Amino acid sequence: MFDVSVITANASLLWQGLLVTLLYTVTTIGTGLVIGFAVGLVQLSRLRALRLCGRVYVEFFRNIPLLVILLWSYYAMPIFLHVNITKTAAGYLSLSCYIGAFYAEILRAGVEGVDRGQVDAATALGMSPSQRMRLVILPQAIRRMLPPLVGQSIIQMKNTTLLSAITVPDLLYQGSYISSFTYKPMEVYTAVAAIFLIILVPLTSLARRMEGFDARAH
Amino acid sequence: MRAPTESAKIVTIEKLSLRYGSRQVLRGIDLHVGAGEVVVLLGASGSGKTSLLRCINLLSMPQSGRICIGGEPIFDTSPEGHDRLALTQAQIGRIRARTGMVFQQFNLFPHMSVLRNVMEAPMIVGGLSRERAEAEARALLAQLGLEAHADKRPAQLSGGQQQRVGIARALAMKPAVMLFDEPTSALDPELVGEVLRAMVALARSGMTMVIVTHELGLAFEIADRVVFLDGGDIIASGPPADVLLAPEHPRVAGFVARFHESIDMLKPFLETV
Repeated sequence: MFDVSVITANASLLWQGLLVTLLYTVTTIGTGLVIGFAVGLVQLSRLRALRLCGRVYVEFFRNIPLLVILLWSYYAMPIFLHVNITKTAAGYLSLSCYIGAFYAEILRAGVEGVDRGQVDAATALGMSPSQRMRLVILPQAIRRMLPPLVGQSIIQMKNTTLLSAITVPDLLYQGSYISSFTYKPMEVYTAVAAIFLIILVPLTSLARRMEGFDARAH
Repeated sequence: MRAPTESAKIVTIEKLSLRYGSRQVLRGIDLHVGAGEVVVLLGASGSGKTSLLRCINLLSMPQSGRICIGGEPIFDTSPEGHDRLALTQAQIGRIRARTGMVFQQFNLFPHMSVLRNVMEAPMIVGGLSRERAEAEARALLAQLGLEAHADKRPAQLSGGQQQRVGIARALAMKPAVMLFDEPTSALDPELVGEVLRAMVALARSGMTMVIVTHELGLAFEIADRVVFLDGGDIIASGPPADVLLAPEHPRVAGFVARFHESIDMLKPFLETV
């Protein structure tokens, strides 16, 4: 039997968890966009050394599982560096740096996907490298970057559930907590899954519509 | 043919060599283009004609030689008197802006209106006010018969119209020389004429032009000189009638013969009409 009262009786805990999840999603996406833009531009630099730095950053965060990054930054880094770090800071920084690497790749691919002839035309008109980037390349790249940016951001919201591993009280953490004292995991985890579905399905379909928009744009 | 005097040389190319990896694309090319002169570069694909054109405004970076635009060196590795010329990006950009380039695939900016395509560079590179840039752009578009399309996006135009916008965009920078890279090769046959007519009008107005094309008719119509490239070398150069009607080099003869063949193949069909 599906006991709805377990959910209604603990709605405020789930609500608090959802707010924490949304807070981490929004703030780490915001910070990640800044990181991604900077690292993406570094990866597109004409200077080999800078490009290499960008590459190292991206491969570092893309090839370590997020759960390992979270656990390492909260439990291992303080010992290495002799610093104290709160779970809030560890979670926020890990998630931001992690998604920043993916955003950087999206930017790089978006810019490199712009037709080479566009750069030729802008160059032949006498535009400087920064004018080319700002006026010709980025406006076209951003159009093709939007669908993968939305897609990656959706993954980021789901990835925040890993925060529960370092005891950040997100939606999943609150769900586990409720189930630990009600002994009703079926109802609680179903509710947690349903909440993600309700929020993310509209966003996913928005991303899909944007892909269609992109195809018609040119 | 108008013989270019020393002072009126718009493009000077000396001992230009370009290499892609181990492939030698240009082997010490010398080419001088005088003011008002129209030079057509001919040759098979891979002969280096497009590479030569792209070197003039340094879209392709040669390994050695010397290039001057309007008497101003933009590239120089010659040992006499100079060290290797080191220009800043801004200096190269300024000299580049004195050349206008028209591309095979048009390369219009798809996210800007036709008007914006034409006025953007004069504003941000040339430093013109918005009002002045717009007025000049509209005048150029009218000159090319495109005034009705100013507010459209390039994608809404036919290929021929897009290429004429490409010509207007290049002219907007008031270049000393116009460079055309196979401007009609990507067009449907019925759209070639309108672009050729625009180019003929431009040549008649006294514009200095360097044109890479396969349109031999255009070469006869407007070229003061045709330059035939093969394997990165210039193997023939002179007035179109001399080079193309009495070809000395077997490669040029072969090139012209294929042109005749295609006309011969058409003849039976033309006669039945």
